[in-house]
Amino acid sequence: MSGGGPRYVVIGAGPAGLTAARELARRGRDVVVLEQGHIVGGLARTESYKGFHFDMGGHRFFTKVDEVQKIWREVLGTELLRRPRLSRIYYDGKFFNYPLKPLNALAGLGIWRAVMVALSYVRWQIAPYRREDTFEQWVTNRFGRRLFLTFFKTYTEKVWGIPCSELRAEWAAQRIKDLSLRSAVVAMFIKPRHTIKTLIEEFDYPRLGPGMMWRAAADEIVRGGGEVRLGAEVTAIHRTGPRVDAVVVAGPAGEERVRGDHFLSSMPVTQLVLRLSPPAPDAVAEAARRLTYRDFLTVCLIVDRPDPFPDNWIYVHSPEVRVGRIQNFRSWSPDMVPDGSKASLGLEYFCSEGDALWTMPDAELIRLGKAELERIGLARLSEISDGCVFRVPKAYPVYDADYRVHLDTVRAFVDGLENLQTMGRNGLHRYNNQDHAMLTGLLAVRNVESGERHDLWSVNTEQEYHEEVGVTEAQAEALAGRITAIFPRIDSLALGAASGVVSGALLFLATLILVLKGGAVVGPRLSLLAQFLPGYTVTVTGSLIGLAYGGLLGFLAGWSFAVIRNLMLFLSLSVLRRRAQRQLLKRFLEFV
Amino acid sequence: MTTDPKDLEALVLVRVVRLNAAVAGVVTGLLAGLALFVATNWLILKGGPVVGPHLALLGQYFIGYRVTFVGSLIGFVWAFAVGFVVGAAVVAIYNRLADLRDPHARSR
Repeated sequence: MSGGGPRYVVIGAGPAGLTAARELARRGRDVVVLEQGHIVGGLARTESYKGFHFDMGGHRFFTKVDEVQKIWREVLGTELLRRPRLSRIYYDGKFFNYPLKPLNALAGLGIWRAVMVALSYVRWQIAPYRREDTFEQWVTNRFGRRLFLTFFKTYTEKVWGIPCSELRAEWAAQRIKDLSLRSAVVAMFIKPRHTIKTLIEEFDYPRLGPGMMWRAAADEIVRGGGEVRLGAEVTAIHRTGPRVDAVVVAGPAGEERVRGDHFLSSMPVTQLVLRLSPPAPDAVAEAARRLTYRDFLTVCLIVDRPDPFPDNWIYVHSPEVRVGRIQNFRSWSPDMVPDGSKASLGLEYFCSEGDALWTMPDAELIRLGKAELERIGLARLSEISDGCVFRVPKAYPVYDADYRVHLDTVRAFVDGLENLQTMGRNGLHRYNNQDHAMLTGLLAVRNVESGERHDLWSVNTEQEYHEEVGVTEAQAEALAGRITAIFPRIDSLALGAASGVVSGALLFLATLILVLKGGAVVGPRLSLLAQFLPGYTVTVTGSLIGLAYGGLLGFLAGWSFAVIRNLMLFLSLSVLRRRAQRQLLKRFLEFV
Repeated sequence: MTTDPKDLEALVLVRVVRLNAAVAGVVTGLLAGLALFVATNWLILKGGPVVGPHLALLGQYFIGYRVTFVGSLIGFVWAFAVGFVVGAAVVAIYNRLADLRDPHARSR
């Protein structure tokens, strides 16, 4: 459309791809978006069935990235609703508030189990696992085994499909640990409570689900002269050396070669590498094959009752049912449900492409969903009138023991392709949320258009906390880097010696001055010190004894001061770190 | 994983603090001066047949000091001077000793 300007090919019409394409269209660039699915939105799409809208995964619209917030407002305007948030955990037949609230958790657990949780916490504080190789060990060491079994084990295993004893602790460490230490430092200087409270209690949401945002964005791209092709799967990426020339698109009308000058891809980076022509080196292809994903499917059920429960969603920890999370779409937005007398629920089952759940026929899945919904007690079988199933492949990149090595190999190769950038959750194989995926799209455009040098791989969820407390990742990093200089120790021996020297000198001079002044009775008051300092007198000899005493007492005073100060500083920082970790524990499931 | 280089123990209380001798001197000087100024005037306000006989003994060291209002001003100056010397001396000696014990610290 821009007559001779560079042509941009954007692969994937998810948040990253559409954000990038929208930005390019606004700049008047020639852009084509290739999406293999039948609708736009990618992992943040909204599926529809008989007028009901289903958000795949549940996407809250909150961010501290100003540019992303601005885009949401620009695209959606008044269609962006402010919604209250309520989410709970279902475990052992009871509902627990989420984020966890101590009194509510106490009431749900009962006094006896709460005491056992507390004792377990103390026990694991006193005698933790000596090695923290697994997620199970990592959580148990911090929160005790009982709390691990109650709030972590089953849900984590449902989501990731492997026992917590096999999930590497690096995963928890990457997502929680560094963050909590940094947050402890940041919390020293910034009071985050209000901001976090706001984000936890309410969020923005498009009236018809996130798909509304992405349909509007696609419309803007088309109005700007761009093109958005649905059902267009990229089956091959042709390159000449380090430059990509074109992609091959398989669509209803057969295969087509789409040429471009710049390529921005949010398709799974594993597929991208394996579809290169000529192929990527064997080691890179092998690394790509070893990067894995976790998938999920949503069993959508229509209930003939307006409000089965008030939550936006419920985490289902109970091991006796397979469902992991239940969405209540009316609570997200009343307009997601076309009939006021009905409710639409989304039962999310975490699975892996090709496994028994994934391949189960839809009718059977609906039967399973109905039975489990009744078993939990949220609806009776007779109330569920209809249902459908949507599958979401490659929803979560898996951080297994070796993923970092494989990803680094893939990244090193992909970064060498001059006119191609990957972005978005699957393009970067990073557990980015929607807003950060959008940010990678924006930054990718700036890298090409403005010659900026943003590292898209470093945009990740670890930024979230810092955004919540109002600092940038760079500031938090800088602060963490300076922590050794911010909290130095006092050298206790040096301070003891210094105060000893000065104290001794003071008593020595005070005595000697009186001796030199002389008189009938020399220093009658000062000599009272002899009651505490045996042998001390107000004489020349006594001044030397005073020097020794002053030195000794001064040393003890200075040394004690330094030791106690260092200890108190360390203890207060330890408490602060614990507090930061507990804050994260309350919201832990969002990181799972 | 087991030994996290970013752990708290490895980050805080690692470096040895160096203090500013002049600042420490001024702080201890002001504290000492104000303490003597307030103590003197407190006894004056309490009054009595003999005002502050024990505090007056400081006059043996601080020339011109008496338990009077003018004396409190003189006492402030003396106490500030002594406090400054004590505070600055403690810190100067501390810094020197800390350097001797950890000679590489300055270059960090």
